[in-house]
Amino acid sequence: MRQATREYHFDWMLWSAFDTAAKLSRGSEKEYRTTLKYIPYFRGIVEAMLQSGEPGKRFVELCAKYFGNFVTARERGRKTAMTTFCFSPTILYALDVAPVCLELLSAIMALTYRRGTGEFLDYCNEVGFTETSCSSQRGALGGFLAGLGSEIDMIVTDTPGVCDTNANAFSFAAAYLQKPFFQLDFPPVLVDPQTDTYHREDYKALIRFLEEHTGKTLDVDRLRQVLMEIEVQDALMAELEDLSRLVPNPLPVSFGLLTYAGRFLFGGMPECTRLLESMVEQGRANAEKGISGLKSGVEKIRVFFCYIDHYAQDLRLWQLLDERGIGYAGNILSRHWASTAPYVRILDKADAAYTVDTTSLDAMLDSVAALNSRMPMVKQIRGPYDAPNMWLDDTLALAKLYSADCIVYNGTPGCRNTWGMVKLLARDTEKAGFPTHIMNTDAFDERVQSWEATRERFEEFLTVRRLLP
Amino acid sequence: MMPEWVEAAVVLENGFIREWKAAGKKVVGYTCSYLPDEVFHAAGILPFRLRGYGTEECSIGDTYFGPFICSLPKCMLQLAGEGRLRFLDGAIITPGCDSMRRLDECWRKAGDDHEGIVPGFFFHFGVPHKFSDYTVHWFIDEIRRLIAAVEAHFGVAVTDEGLRESIRIYNRGRALLQQFDRFRTAPNPPITGAEALAVILAGTAMARDAYNSCLEAFLDKLTDHRTETQTDRIRLMLVGSANDDVELVRVIEGNRALVVADNLCFSARFHLDPVAEDGNLVEALARHYLQKNECPRMYGQYRQRLDLLRAKIRSARVDGVVLQNIRFCDLHGAENGLFERALEAEGTPCLRLEREYGPLVEKGRLKIRVDAFLERIAQKHGAAA
Repeated sequence: MRQATREYHFDWMLWSAFDTAAKLSRGSEKEYRTTLKYIPYFRGIVEAMLQSGEPGKRFVELCAKYFGNFVTARERGRKTAMTTFCFSPTILYALDVAPVCLELLSAIMALTYRRGTGEFLDYCNEVGFTETSCSSQRGALGGFLAGLGSEIDMIVTDTPGVCDTNANAFSFAAAYLQKPFFQLDFPPVLVDPQTDTYHREDYKALIRFLEEHTGKTLDVDRLRQVLMEIEVQDALMAELEDLSRLVPNPLPVSFGLLTYAGRFLFGGMPECTRLLESMVEQGRANAEKGISGLKSGVEKIRVFFCYIDHYAQDLRLWQLLDERGIGYAGNILSRHWASTAPYVRILDKADAAYTVDTTSLDAMLDSVAALNSRMPMVKQIRGPYDAPNMWLDDTLALAKLYSADCIVYNGTPGCRNTWGMVKLLARDTEKAGFPTHIMNTDAFDERVQSWEATRERFEEFLTVRRLLP
Repeated sequence: MMPEWVEAAVVLENGFIREWKAAGKKVVGYTCSYLPDEVFHAAGILPFRLRGYGTEECSIGDTYFGPFICSLPKCMLQLAGEGRLRFLDGAIITPGCDSMRRLDECWRKAGDDHEGIVPGFFFHFGVPHKFSDYTVHWFIDEIRRLIAAVEAHFGVAVTDEGLRESIRIYNRGRALLQQFDRFRTAPNPPITGAEALAVILAGTAMARDAYNSCLEAFLDKLTDHRTETQTDRIRLMLVGSANDDVELVRVIEGNRALVVADNLCFSARFHLDPVAEDGNLVEALARHYLQKNECPRMYGQYRQRLDLLRAKIRSARVDGVVLQNIRFCDLHGAENGLFERALEAEGTPCLRLEREYGPLVEKGRLKIRVDAFLERIAQKHGAAA
């Protein structure tokens, strides 16, 4: 690792960069233009976000607040928990714990920095963690293992039974950093009374763990408050889903990213609600005018990403989609399977969805356990890909519902699960009539395949399959 | 020294299986040591630990699995695709790890292209990743679900009496393996590590009653004609990813070293403690199998596993530890990194090796690295003397 990288805590740097960018968005045009000259490496992401309107500005503010929350947690007497993107932060907020989500930090660093997270990825290997592990955790984890991150009080993950490489990263971190560790574990079947009982018991054990390590007792009113906020967010996300089915789709391509990242950062908190409100407002305005969210205004095709997106610097995936007139039909990260979601209603999947019930503590615990067990990836990858409510079911249903013209898989080489079955999935989606492209790349590490090569191969797919001229 | 019955370790469809099948009896393959074999024994079915041993290429495995997957399940799929597992009447896939659990889909889908390779009974068996009262309840339900499926498919009954008798027989086997382990870890062991692995592997590929008898006779022989031939060798411990290849141990041992202990999936580690023979037997099995934390699939148990290694290093007077993992096996690979750090700090030399499962195409590379490691240990001994 370069000495320069060791000079400052990486998370403090990230907070500082986003905090400055957030202030920039509220400054004058002259201030904005002048500052861009001084941030040559960040200007791409800053411009991409701030120029996308109010939601982009709010998202930058959201990131700044999230980083600030855990970087300054100690000073404010709060605990921090290292956690994963598919663990709903709702319960942490209910217990006033600041979440530190590794994948979000990795993705945001990859989107922001020219060097991405390369040095931290490599640092993990230097201290014994395997280079074949998933880059989504390794990117940020390396910073913490190197002692260049904020103090972590506990580690909480919910991927045993879902994703080994993910769970293993947190287990390794707990051993290496000598921190208390809790895992939510998942049976391979989603809709089953025994599974529900298990989820409830496991979630209660999680709360006992959090109470023990925070020294706080779960505040029922606070839990009710965050769950009610979840309901509001679910309603807003449902409206965004409805809007995205219009032709032309009035939502800008980056809204998918903002939706899931917002929910991963601040699920159950007003910050996420405000972001979603601004997105709905912009979407509605575009819909009323009958215009597309794409800059060109012409949506030529729609693509459904059946796993995750590509986090190349400066949002270049979304820029490509925007430039080429490709509508973004979302991915599995942006769907949370609330019973009020349009896809749940239309696909008649109420049994696979969660409902928020705040009438009693038990009802709330059941709700939050069900919510967590429907998180992206936790829901789809826990069982065989072709079992009911799993990856194939969701991919085909969502691709059809959102009128996708093709399906793209993108992940990381560290993803044993999806790489263990993506060829089978692609065979099935092709049979169902969806041209399917498997990106042989790493969503978080451009050293595996450069963005330029990824783009070229994607465009080749679009040409060869006659999706775009 | 090697008894003839360890043919079972190196021949996939060995003589015992051929005899078993000729008698019209069933064989069910399984992928993970967290499956309670006793259930199948009680049903009159031979539980057979699936292996990828004997593959010569991996074209079928590579067709269905993606590129970034451990070569062990790929080799298993290769064998299945080539029709070399047709003697199986059933297969159980367990989430031992992600690569292995995806064998479920890959095998089934390969069956669309290769006729008759998917056994009639095909079962996905969930295993929790931690031990607590409520995970034991889940595991009890899962074992009951398995029993019901086996009974329905094969038209057999798993009775309490039958299960108790099977547990008794398996416990006897555990006690014998414990005796065997004492021979193996003795100051001058009468057998090599490669031979020890063969003896253990045989237990995964033949009926337990017959195995116990063979093992008993073998132990008697070892007691009566004890020859302490393995002197002056460097004593190693082998840790990490699954290994069912006797040759790998032979390569590591060469003529300078002896593998006297291990912590591997195919090894003695799961055979030592007995299962309770009274009370609720399904619960006894669930508790016994789930409380084993030797495998890194049981997250958050690193400290306990490290203590286990330390204890074995002491009791077997180990000079050095070989920490190996199959490429893309992140669970063992990452934990090996932690072990190396801790054990080296305590003065135990460690060697980390990454390898591919299957034919030993990298024998030369492995040998060079192991030789250098042995040299390091020898120098350390020399300096100490």
